[in-house]
Amino acid sequence: MVVGECVVLEVKNLSKQYATPHGALPILSDISFSLDGGDSASIVGPSGSGKSTLLYLVGGLEPPTSGTVTLDGQNPYTLPERELAVFRNTQIGFVFQDHLLLPQCSVLENVLVPTLVTGPDPRATDRAVDLIEQVGLKPRLEHRPAELSGGERQRVALARALIREPRVLLCDEPTGNLDRDSADIVSSLLFELHQRQKAILVIVTHNTTLAQRCAAQYRLDGQHLDSTRP
Amino acid sequence: MTLLTLVRRNVLHFWQTNLAVAVGVGVAVAVLAGALLVGSSVRASLRSLALERLGSVDIVVTSAGFVRESLADELLDAGETREGFAGAAPIVAVEGFVTHQASGRRASGVQVYGVDERFWRFHGIDSDTVRLDRNRVFVSEGLARELEAAVDDSLLVRVELPSAIPISSLHGRRDDVGRTLRLGIERVLPPGEQGEFSFRPQQGLARSVFIPLTRIQQALEQEGRVNTVLLGVKDQSGDGGVDAIERLATAEAAIRAVATLDDLGLRVRVVSDQQTFTVESAAGLINDATAAVVDSTARASRIDTRPVLTYLVNQLGRDDRVMPYSLVAALDLGVVSNWEDGLTDSDSGTPPVVLNEWAADDLGVVVGDTLAVEYYVWEDEGRLETRGTDLRVVDVVPIEGAADDPTLAPDYPGITEAVDLVGWDPPFEIDLGLIRPQDEDYWDEYRTTPKAFIPLETGRQLWGSRWGSLTSIRLEPEGDLETTAERFRQDLRAAVDPLAVGFVVYPARALAVEASAGATDFGLYFIYFSFFLVVSALLLASLFFRLGVEQRLAEIGILRATGFPPAKIWRVFGAEALLLSVVGSVIGVIAAVVYAELIMWGLRTWWLDAVGTTRLSLHVSPMALASGTAGGMLAAFVSITLTLRSLSPASPRSLLTGVTAESTPTEVASSGWSRAVVTSVALCVLGVGLVLIAAVGPLSPTVGFFGGGLLLLCSLLTAAWVWLHGRPRYHTSGSWTVTQLGFRNATSRPGRSVLCIALIASAAFIIVAVDAFHREGGAGELDPLSGTGGYTLVADTLLPIAHDPSTATGRDSLNLFDFYEPGGPLEDVTLTRFRLRPGEDASCLNLYQAKDPRVLAVTDAFASLGRFSFTGTLAETPDEVDNPWQLLHREFDDGAVPAIADATSLTYALHLAVGDDFVLNRDTDNPIRLRIVAALSDSIFQRELLIAEDHFTRVFPQYDGYRFFLIDAHPERTGDVAAALEDRLADYGFDVVSAGERLAAFHQVENTYLATFQTLGGLGLVLGTFGLGAVLLRNILERRRELALLRAVGFNAGHLSLIVLAENALLLFAGLFAGTACALVAIAPAWISRGGGLPILSLTALLVVVVVAGFSASLGATLVAVRSPLLRALRTE
Repeated sequence: MVVGECVVLEVKNLSKQYATPHGALPILSDISFSLDGGDSASIVGPSGSGKSTLLYLVGGLEPPTSGTVTLDGQNPYTLPERELAVFRNTQIGFVFQDHLLLPQCSVLENVLVPTLVTGPDPRATDRAVDLIEQVGLKPRLEHRPAELSGGERQRVALARALIREPRVLLCDEPTGNLDRDSADIVSSLLFELHQRQKAILVIVTHNTTLAQRCAAQYRLDGQHLDSTRP
Repeated sequence: MTLLTLVRRNVLHFWQTNLAVAVGVGVAVAVLAGALLVGSSVRASLRSLALERLGSVDIVVTSAGFVRESLADELLDAGETREGFAGAAPIVAVEGFVTHQASGRRASGVQVYGVDERFWRFHGIDSDTVRLDRNRVFVSEGLARELEAAVDDSLLVRVELPSAIPISSLHGRRDDVGRTLRLGIERVLPPGEQGEFSFRPQQGLARSVFIPLTRIQQALEQEGRVNTVLLGVKDQSGDGGVDAIERLATAEAAIRAVATLDDLGLRVRVVSDQQTFTVESAAGLINDATAAVVDSTARASRIDTRPVLTYLVNQLGRDDRVMPYSLVAALDLGVVSNWEDGLTDSDSGTPPVVLNEWAADDLGVVVGDTLAVEYYVWEDEGRLETRGTDLRVVDVVPIEGAADDPTLAPDYPGITEAVDLVGWDPPFEIDLGLIRPQDEDYWDEYRTTPKAFIPLETGRQLWGSRWGSLTSIRLEPEGDLETTAERFRQDLRAAVDPLAVGFVVYPARALAVEASAGATDFGLYFIYFSFFLVVSALLLASLFFRLGVEQRLAEIGILRATGFPPAKIWRVFGAEALLLSVVGSVIGVIAAVVYAELIMWGLRTWWLDAVGTTRLSLHVSPMALASGTAGGMLAAFVSITLTLRSLSPASPRSLLTGVTAESTPTEVASSGWSRAVVTSVALCVLGVGLVLIAAVGPLSPTVGFFGGGLLLLCSLLTAAWVWLHGRPRYHTSGSWTVTQLGFRNATSRPGRSVLCIALIASAAFIIVAVDAFHREGGAGELDPLSGTGGYTLVADTLLPIAHDPSTATGRDSLNLFDFYEPGGPLEDVTLTRFRLRPGEDASCLNLYQAKDPRVLAVTDAFASLGRFSFTGTLAETPDEVDNPWQLLHREFDDGAVPAIADATSLTYALHLAVGDDFVLNRDTDNPIRLRIVAALSDSIFQRELLIAEDHFTRVFPQYDGYRFFLIDAHPERTGDVAAALEDRLADYGFDVVSAGERLAAFHQVENTYLATFQTLGGLGLVLGTFGLGAVLLRNILERRRELALLRAVGFNAGHLSLIVLAENALLLFAGLFAGTACALVAIAPAWISRGGGLPILSLTALLVVVVVAGFSASLGATLVAVRSPLLRALRTE
């Protein structure tokens, strides 16, 4: 991606239902929004409202029941499985509430995990080191996740999400498991790196401070998404 | 950072789970490779043992009669023999029974060898170290142990006295059939000095006695003669193939080249004063085949022949004048008389007789008078019968010319050499009181000159037997007598094939190697019964792999989320699986050797009854190890990767949240359900079908049992999966109990639960199936249709008994008369006799494949009783169906001889079925084809094949007399009966055992094999218990927060234990039910064919053991559930 290039994430009439033994369970209903490159959006709402589900739908992790998700006009769900994986690898970056680092790999190796998909890249290691430095963990390159604090692990997860320079950065409660200080650090890093990469940032969070730092603010409630930007 | 780095990190980080996977793979490889090692070890051990006992022997040449010692050297010098063989040694090899004089302990079936320094040199042993004085012997370690004998102890060795004259002919020596030698033990020979020498492979203790050759030759009245020549192998490592066939042909050609008429029991004697030479047989009678050869040889040389049959009649008489014990010659009457009319006197229809003048004067008869002749005939059944006929005098001739020829009579032992008539010692009773002075005068002057002459055809009708109908064949040449006789000797020798008249060339080394492949393929049977153990180990490995993968679901999720396509994730985990398979295989290879060594040790100790030898040892075959390892590794890799497939349907979102598809509520796809149900039903139908097809024929029972059992298990496991997967939509229809909570837990991870059920079911299957095959002995032994035929005793003799103990004269001859009187031990006891052709044991007691089994002759009287039961026959007619013994008289166009064998021996030892052929003397020019017409059901005849007596006497004429007996005696008197018979018939080596014990010995072998396989089932149970315990523990650890919640709301330790036990019980009993049900269906055909009847007690006990073991698996999980600080889990993330 070229920095500054215009990217459009468009969600149109998105709906999602889950099949259960008791019948279909609606989670999302007719959700639409659009974001450009460099935009940031937060989604808040009560627990169980489907915020994470919306994030997974946008990130190509789970297909919608109806509606479309397009990134520069490309609907990832029309792609074959292999190309969908490539889409996620190159276009999407995820940060989860539980950092989901591989306990058997070092900090550097965890950041490099997404690069394993496409084979050896001589520049990947340099970029990874650079990202790790940006999140302030360069001295901990060879340390394992068990040797890091919660906040440090989440910073590594953030670096991992950005290693492939994605166009869309999706964060699901990135500070949910952190104390205030760690949360602040991670939040700041998040926006700082987002600014540099000009990606589309979507954050699902209960943290109002974090939510309010986003340019667009949405609330998901009763299967519908409403803008709450003042 | 590369994928390989990730794989390496994964394997090392999750080392605990991976170690369990590798161990599971290791167990599978160890069991599979170990089973193959066991098979190869048994084969190698048997081969080593057989070759060790053969020493330097390659080929054995035996003769029905005794031959010249010098034949050994002549064989070696004939043709290419010296190029093919290292040496030759003449020996005497007979079977005997040995009594330890001091203690009275006896051993029968002992190999007795008459040897000299040539034998020891032949085997490369310094003959100075094995010198024997005349009355000293060497014995084998096995015999010394059996008799508890030591050096210098005295032994009585009794062997059969060889006789060229058949004992069931008139002049056969029936009462003097053996010789006893009293000898001292010089040394107990170790195996290294050929102490275990044997040229027939057998794995039991070698029981041998080595006697000085000259000593035994003298005892057997065969000075300078032997009955066996050993030909030595040049390359001891060589054991068969084309070379062996060539060497066999060389030996046969050598025999044909060097054997003389004397070696063949024939003689050409010049009778100068008659200007003839005569062909005679050492047997006293010339058989029809030999007579035909003599005739054709004579015709080729344009020599006329005059066949003669001379017979000793009891008396010739007319009115009150009787002439006792006279020789009558049956020949062409034109030789001695001018009388020319035919066979019968045309005036009277009575056969004609020409008397010499002496006889005519003595009887006071003239031409035209009728004489009565009385003579003995020995019936094959074992009795002397007196018969008579009338003859009409047609001529009286002077004792001169052809009528004055004592050589017309053969040599009669006990008669010909007697000085006078009262000195006669024939093998039948004569009344010396009948002999008159004039008879002695005749004997002094004329010796064996016949007193009467009848036509040859008349003689053949009166006195011909299965042994022959001629005593000599006169040849009347035209040229020089000696020259013509010598030329005729050479021509006759060339015309008679030694291999057709008693010589057997036996490729001992090649046959020993072939037989070492074994009657029972241990490797194959161990693989069969280890199959479920291997499956259990693979299931365990897959289970642990699955547990490990489930532990890393989130990791898989993040890889998917970051763009790893499923295929790449597959490659990562597949690489891990491969690495674990390799590591496990390395563990398995080492464990396989240990496992195989343990099995071999078990066969030498605990399971000794199955193999009958302690000489089995581990032989590590690289091929067996490699095959087992490759197979186990491949199976492990496949089963582990199949586990991965079951996880792939999960979405990345599910993986990220650590939930698999099977644990999330999903819309139940009816098509999926239908498929699973259909699959389960189809597998069930296939499984039952396979079992039934194997029961009725086309498939082997083993395939039916294992294949059908496996399919049925898969069917039930599929059904279990369907049942567990279809979680109930409502919690209960009644109260919601704690135990039902435990049951519900088993349905949360159906895949794991089914694996646990499969583990328990596999173990239960083997344990139940094997135990159901266990045979009990004893019950129903008096039933004529049982395996003993209702007989209580079985006896073997070393020396043949010609007399019939069911007749008064027979009992008298056998010194049993008083025992049969009222109150005697043999009152109401009957003996059923069988002729025997000795050979190899065809039962499961013999690990070697019997190439030359024992053959018994079934009398018509025995066959008519219809005793014993049959599992299969070729019966077509109602009579044959009613009594399959009648099949022994069926005629086959190709000349095959119908035979009956025991079903167990047929299947497991001879690898034949009803309708198949067994060929005796396979590699000779005179093979004998025996066609199996019926199979006996679990009988005491497992060591031999049975043919009708008339076939036996035709194809095995050299085996005379009776040597096997079935005895009908009251069960309470069997001890007295056995003691009485063994005492009075000790000279024959009469050895009596209980028929029930004989059958039990066969069962013991089978039961020991089953015990071996049951041990494998036990190992499977251990694996199953381990797997079940691991799953339960894992489930508890995963549900710690749930259990913490239950504790928080008031559940106590007892409740938690009950939850764990309930889940355990569901899986355990499901597995038990599946395994037991499948086993019972799989064994049903075999069970029905054995007459039904399950060992309920032992089965129940075993199932209780399985239940106890299974419940013990939950111990660890219960302890964790109850004791770990679960409440702390409520406070942590």
